[in-house]
Amino acid sequence: MIENRPWLTLVSHLSLLFGIALVALPVWVALVASTHPTEAFGSGQIPLWFGDQLSENWGQVLFSSAGNGIDVPVWLMMLNSLIMALGITIGKIAISIISAYAIVFFRFPLRGLAFWVIFITLMLPVEVRIVPTYEVVANLELLNSYSGLVLPLIASATATFLFRQCFMTVPGELVEAARIDGAGPIRFFFDILLPLSRTNIAALFVIMFIYGWNQYLWPLIVTTDDAYYTLVMSIKRMLSVEQGDVQWNQVMVTTLLAMLPPVAVVVGMQKLFVKGLVDAEK
Amino acid sequence: MSDVVLKNLGKTYPNGYQAIPGVDLTIEEGEFIVLVGPSGCGKSTLLRMVAGLESITQGELSIKGSRVNEKEPAERDIAMVFQNYALYPHMTVAVNMAYGLKNRGVPKDEIATKVNGVATMLGLNELLERKPKQLSGGQRQRVAMGRAMVRDPKVFLFDEPLSNLDAKLRVQMRVEIRELQRKLGTTTLYVTHDQVEAMTLADRLVVLNKGKAEQIGSPMALYEKPATTFVATFIGSPAMNLVPAHAGHGELCLAPALRLFNPYEYEGSVLLGIRPEHIQLCSEAEADLSMHVRAVESLGAETLIHGILVADEQHQTPIVVRLAGIHYPEIGGRLWLQLPNQHWHLFDQTSQQRVN
Repeated sequence: MIENRPWLTLVSHLSLLFGIALVALPVWVALVASTHPTEAFGSGQIPLWFGDQLSENWGQVLFSSAGNGIDVPVWLMMLNSLIMALGITIGKIAISIISAYAIVFFRFPLRGLAFWVIFITLMLPVEVRIVPTYEVVANLELLNSYSGLVLPLIASATATFLFRQCFMTVPGELVEAARIDGAGPIRFFFDILLPLSRTNIAALFVIMFIYGWNQYLWPLIVTTDDAYYTLVMSIKRMLSVEQGDVQWNQVMVTTLLAMLPPVAVVVGMQKLFVKGLVDAEK
Repeated sequence: MSDVVLKNLGKTYPNGYQAIPGVDLTIEEGEFIVLVGPSGCGKSTLLRMVAGLESITQGELSIKGSRVNEKEPAERDIAMVFQNYALYPHMTVAVNMAYGLKNRGVPKDEIATKVNGVATMLGLNELLERKPKQLSGGQRQRVAMGRAMVRDPKVFLFDEPLSNLDAKLRVQMRVEIRELQRKLGTTTLYVTHDQVEAMTLADRLVVLNKGKAEQIGSPMALYEKPATTFVATFIGSPAMNLVPAHAGHGELCLAPALRLFNPYEYEGSVLLGIRPEHIQLCSEAEADLSMHVRAVESLGAETLIHGILVADEQHQTPIVVRLAGIHYPEIGGRLWLQLPNQHWHLFDQTSQQRVN
């Protein structure tokens, strides 16, 4: 549809600009706040232009200690978050691609039931099963460990379902051609199925990485040791200092750092992500 | 030495549906066998049983003298060309063709020589680095054939390989497939529902009906002496005319007032079969019978006249006449016809079997 109505164009552009401003303003405030000394916030005024403490604040938070009662530097928490997010993402993709492979391509008894059982776990996110899961993790002595952070979160019905849908579009003739070409189940999986679901894997990677990175409740419960704190949960801790004022400048640095990796993943994988969700290569 | 032997080969599905009651067929080395039949007749099932993609529930299949019923498709030394080509979309043409060899552990330089050889034979040299989706339908078809040829298998299996191509390309590929098969001398089993394809390609045809082989023989044998009415109407286009009649006492009685001299010894209710191309126009005095013209299809080289036999009022027997050249019969008019009796095919009305 091609329209030529200058007023409509103007109004729609203005509303878009307004929307952008609305979304970007808090980020701007955070960025500006991260460049001021702590005292700048005591007056109740929010500064709107850069201060002179940029390198001091960022350097201190990143490399020495995050402040506000947390003694470890932010880079360590970023590393923890990254390990957890990548662990969850890769684990989720690996497990669900294998289970979808079994469900779609193999005939075994109770196959339908297996699928529906996996599907039903959609109704049991971490928040629902948090007490029993904690119990299990505690009994396995996985508290304060990377495995404890990752393992309870890596089963994924959503990903299994998505891979199942993707695999079901693989034509039967292709499977048969591979059989005649002497590709057994393992070869077929690695040589044909995996390359064919490349874009789906990328799309899921983006979604799951952000899911993993943003985990809040589970890390909060399962870690008590500073060395295993993740970034997202630490922000909340930084706000609840017992004595004195919250050091907003340091909180803002941490917040901005917490936003960066998901943004990087989305921007970097945007093309594959869109392709994976809309495009069928087969 | 016979190459592929199907001994009472049958398939019954677990739900009890019998797709193929039992087929006997011995294929000689280098023979081009075409399985032909209407859709749902079990021809693809039979091919897939030979390929090993469907399990065999009855009988025995042997390739080069050894029983292969239980063997995996890859172990049967067969290669298959699929209707939708089934090329691996993420692999280049060269990798597509090499994949089967690679899985069999053939050394790399040997694979390269073989792929190049086949690519040259099929004119694919320019396309080796392309992906399947960058190819046209005909090129994909050729790559699929190349993938089959490169392994140098004992048997080629084709599952309606030309049905996705346009008419012109189909004719071209048909000739090409025949030439290649002659050159390579590989035993071939080819499934199609297109009788023209079947007639032109086959050394021997197997006409399947409801999972049973109605008749096996050379295309011309099937054309000249179809064993059943099914084969008679399936082979040849337009289909053979079948006119109910009663045979006896040297006469063929089409209607109380319509009797023809019958040189064949058989008594009983029959179907008189005569191909549209064997019916001749003649004057009223010489005519065996006549027809009312209903429709005319002019194709230039030939004219097809569709009409109704003038015999008795109750049975409106349709009849098709095929004449060489261009004719303009009047629609609704009457044409006088001669049915030369050396071209008669008589079938028993109840058993549908040939009787002359």
